[in-house]
Amino acid sequence: MDKQNRRQFIRTGIRWILFGGMALVAGDLIFRKGEPLFGKNRKSGPTVWQLDPAKCIQCGRCATNCVKTPSAVKCTHAYSMCGYCNLCSGYFKPETKTLDTGAEKQLCPVSAIKRTFVEDPFYEYTIDEALCIGCGKCVKGCGAFGNGSLQLQVRHHLCDNCNDCSIARNCPSGAFSRVQLTDPYLLKGFGKKNL
Amino acid sequence: MRHKTVIVFILLILGIFLPSVMGVQRFPKPEFESGYVEPETQFPVPRAEFLAWMDVAVLLLSLSLATFLVLKKRSRLGVFWLSLFSLAYFGFYRQGCVCSIGAIQNVTLALFSGSYTIPLTVLFFFLVPLVFTLLFGRTFCAAVCPFGAFQDLVAVKPMPMGAWLNAFLGMIPYLYLGLALLFAATATDFIICRYDPFVGIFRMNASFGMFLFAGVLLLSGIFIARPYCRFLCPYGVLLNWLSRFSWKHMNITPAECIQCRLCENACPYDAIDFPQTKKDPAGRRKQVNRLILLALLLPLLVLGGAWTGGLIHSTLSGVNSKVRLARLLQTASVSKDQPEPPEITAFRSSGIAQQQLMAEVATIEHDFLTGSRIFGGFIGLVFGMTLIGLVRTPYRTDYVPNRGTCFSCAKCMDYCPVIKS
Amino acid sequence: MKKVIPDMILVKFLRLMAVVSGFFSILLCILIIINFIQLKRTDPLNTPALASIQERFIKDPGNTALQQDIRQLDLLARKAFFTSQRQIRSGGYLLFASLLLLVICVKSLELIIPKIPSVLAAGPENPWRRRKIQRRGVIIAGICLVTFTLLLAWITHQMLTPTAEITTLNATASRINSNPEGPEKQTSVASTASDSGNLQGNPGTNNITFAEGFPAQQEIQSNFPSFRGPGGNGIAFQKNIPVSWDGASGKNVRWKTEIPLPGYNSPIIWRDKIFLSGARENKREVYCLDATNGKIRWTADLPKIPGSPGQSPKVTAETGLAAPTLTTDGRRIYAIFANGDLAALDFDGKIIWTKNLGLPKNHYGHSSSLIMYRDLLIIQYDQSGSARVMAFTGETGDKVWETSRNVKVSWASPVLVNTGNRMELLLAAEPDVASYDPATGKELWKLACISGEVGPSVTYANGMVFSINEYSKLAAIRLGPIPSLAWEDNEYLSDVPSPVAINDIVIVVTSYGVVVCYDAATGKKHWLKELDKSVYSSPMIADGKIYVLDKLGTMHILRADKTLTLVGESSLGEGSVCTPAFGEGRIYIRGDKHLFCIGK
Repeated sequence: MDKQNRRQFIRTGIRWILFGGMALVAGDLIFRKGEPLFGKNRKSGPTVWQLDPAKCIQCGRCATNCVKTPSAVKCTHAYSMCGYCNLCSGYFKPETKTLDTGAEKQLCPVSAIKRTFVEDPFYEYTIDEALCIGCGKCVKGCGAFGNGSLQLQVRHHLCDNCNDCSIARNCPSGAFSRVQLTDPYLLKGFGKKNL
Repeated sequence: MRHKTVIVFILLILGIFLPSVMGVQRFPKPEFESGYVEPETQFPVPRAEFLAWMDVAVLLLSLSLATFLVLKKRSRLGVFWLSLFSLAYFGFYRQGCVCSIGAIQNVTLALFSGSYTIPLTVLFFFLVPLVFTLLFGRTFCAAVCPFGAFQDLVAVKPMPMGAWLNAFLGMIPYLYLGLALLFAATATDFIICRYDPFVGIFRMNASFGMFLFAGVLLLSGIFIARPYCRFLCPYGVLLNWLSRFSWKHMNITPAECIQCRLCENACPYDAIDFPQTKKDPAGRRKQVNRLILLALLLPLLVLGGAWTGGLIHSTLSGVNSKVRLARLLQTASVSKDQPEPPEITAFRSSGIAQQQLMAEVATIEHDFLTGSRIFGGFIGLVFGMTLIGLVRTPYRTDYVPNRGTCFSCAKCMDYCPVIKS
Repeated sequence: MKKVIPDMILVKFLRLMAVVSGFFSILLCILIIINFIQLKRTDPLNTPALASIQERFIKDPGNTALQQDIRQLDLLARKAFFTSQRQIRSGGYLLFASLLLLVICVKSLELIIPKIPSVLAAGPENPWRRRKIQRRGVIIAGICLVTFTLLLAWITHQMLTPTAEITTLNATASRINSNPEGPEKQTSVASTASDSGNLQGNPGTNNITFAEGFPAQQEIQSNFPSFRGPGGNGIAFQKNIPVSWDGASGKNVRWKTEIPLPGYNSPIIWRDKIFLSGARENKREVYCLDATNGKIRWTADLPKIPGSPGQSPKVTAETGLAAPTLTTDGRRIYAIFANGDLAALDFDGKIIWTKNLGLPKNHYGHSSSLIMYRDLLIIQYDQSGSARVMAFTGETGDKVWETSRNVKVSWASPVLVNTGNRMELLLAAEPDVASYDPATGKELWKLACISGEVGPSVTYANGMVFSINEYSKLAAIRLGPIPSLAWEDNEYLSDVPSPVAINDIVIVVTSYGVVVCYDAATGKKHWLKELDKSVYSSPMIADGKIYVLDKLGTMHILRADKTLTLVGESSLGEGSVCTPAFGEGRIYIRGDKHLFCIGK
């Protein structure tokens, strides 16, 4: 019986030490650098994955590496940056001469960009997200010769926000990062105002 | 119209010589005369934060309920239905992210990295099951973890595994935990998530390899009950440690054990400790000698582990993307015919000096050397301690669950004929 | 256990359902896998058939039949892609449903048919035996693990070996560079210096340390083996460089030594030895000085070389007869003179081999400095009518490759840098900045962006090459599959000093003494400083600072940063047109007459 009691005592002691250890770790993480993880003025809250178009090199891995099919990364159009060009280098293949919507002229492999006439000589380009696979071919075209208004972005209604983003792991340019839930897009606009 | 095209074309040609910096306004925004209104870019919002707090609340509630069902109600059926709910909620609704198992890595990364801060909800997911386990045993495994629930569903014909294989495979979780900590601490990768077998099924979408792994685990899970929990789960290692010191742990019998032996076959996880009242036939002397030998061997095992760990540090650091890039830069062929790997293209356009990368990589390699040695030492320690633990068989009169490995699933309770008075 | 006799019909039905749904699941699994493999194999969005018709259509844009073909094939491919995806998705849901049914059946069966508790037939296992078996399991696991680990380590080692040495050397080098305190560095240099000092005492042991081959990058960077430092890129890797001295009062001047013959070449340094050359019309000499005390250790008088032209070449006073700087690979030193004489000497001043490259057709005088790539001596020989670049083995002087260049005469020196995944030899002369593979001499790329009588060499940093010349422009070339002009500027140009770039800035020093700092990526000017003195020496970056030496011998030291900060100005007390060389905590400057060693 004495032996049993002693064992019980040691067990209780270790239990309290373990509780203390967990409290220490939790306390350290919650109050790290004097910036608590809670409260109105907290610096960081929950995060989501997003890709920085400034770092993106349109390698095409977003289309193939996402755990979702089709990818949760889609081409996103920053209309405020668009030049409404007739000869859109994001829509047409480089050598295109006659500008119509023929399949042989389109850069997009799934024909997800809709080209609509606005007024002479301007055309509007909209993305059909249901079709877009996030390959970034149009983004590359637009960035090379146009204003760069077509940009790849993680669309958050599609993204599962995996703990370990499988695209981020394979991104060659390190363009993926965790961003604050409150500001979940990194679409670039002109000037300081982010669109 | 034609005129405009020509201008655009000239601008296009000029564009080739302009730096391709983001946001170069090569074409001014048109002023529309037809009254066209520019569409607004849509930004679908991510899952709201309060829903993450709801997950924490569900976790707390289901853990409490599981504990209540196991310890107070002793109801296997209740545990079963609760586990189905957990599978549906944490598995198929929440798609397995973020889970307590994966949260180990977030905590480690947050502890070691200066830039990553852990969201409070994730910290809760990590800590709450640990606290419950320290109090009541592994009730989390019994009915809350969707992985366990899933494997329990498929365990149709569980067979007892030999003591040999149990001990052999039982060492894998320590390795997995050690590696996961090493890779998370060096901000390299979250391997627990990367090789998560069931998340693909929860999402109904995954790579072929992931499905294959899941298929193999589930098929073997028909005969080997909970293979992931017993022979892989790194969180299980922590729960195992904590559960040994739990305050109130479930018991097979509600009152006095009557030694009816009916529960001998009850546990599909080989987690029942049988009574042991005889003396060691080899004699006490031999036992003590063995203990002394192992105690002396322990530092050697730790040092040997650290040394072996140090040997594979460059293998392990190869997982890190920066180290991979540096190695790629040095081994990439000079030939112009092969397309340049996108990593190198991206690195060049990033404007980061190679020296800077090399300096960073040198630090990472150094961290990996230290980390691999600690990892190796840890594994050595685990082996030593496991062996020491296997020297003695404590005196025991009753059939009791093994506090470390018992999942508190309450299956054995149905086998006990004793009724609480 | 209320129901002891189960409902047999229900059990039979459930069993049947379980079997059917089980088979259905397996069937679905197989179908999905087949579909998946098919999608992966054919990859409808990237079919070679479509790509080849596309290519044909580009060549023949008028072909409407081809156009129709493309449209049809494209539609087919897209249909295949989306249908296949839909099939996999709906197959997945079906599989899920059938598995759910299977699980429900099996679980219901489990509930209906009660499991009867049983005792182990053989009785409980002997616990001591069980422990023994478990111990054995753990030990075997340990042995397996260690074996596997060692095997893995060995395989990795095998895979990394060809580059491992470079990796670790580079890593340690940059580690030291990134270390601001740098005490390790100091001690390591001190120890190498003393090592070599000891070895100098017994010349017989020289061959042991100077094994054949070539020095590693780290060794090159810890020395100063060529014009404008390692690779000729204008960056010295030494630290603790002095920022103030005074030649007139001797403050912080450790020693100064008169150099017998004139020459505009700059000193080079290997361990504790400094090498430079001097020439008069019919005399050419190479000097070796002791870095610690400035004593001339030996003077090598170059004899008449077979094939050397009888008459001395016509050169201007501003170029002289010994303008090209020497170079070394730590085994030998190499020197070239205005008459085309080339010589290799060992570290004791003994001539190993000589040759004459032919009298250069150069109206100011040959001035391009030498550089080493591994064991190859590379010479940019941009002479009128027969411009070429050549490589000789350092050991024997045999020509390894020669590439002719379609350029005008130039006075610039080669720059050898690692541009990411390869070494490139960068040369500038009207009309091109060109890059060569230093191992084979194969031209890698060229870009017409420079003109006139090119004096300044190029500089490289972070994937960008910068070239400059007076009456031409400052051109920033972004490397990549096709190098292209990123930006240019023609406000501040130089005809002698070379530019230098580090991190994200480029420094241009004009011959009339304006120092300008540009943003490397955009060409935006960050700052400029007028020195009001003319400058011929090339600026050097060392220890985070820019060292600009004007013709009157005043060193202007500025922070290598986006903001203008003057760190100091120190006078040598003697005019200079040479580029300074750097040792650990030392600067070596060749003035008009003397070689100065600056340091505390």
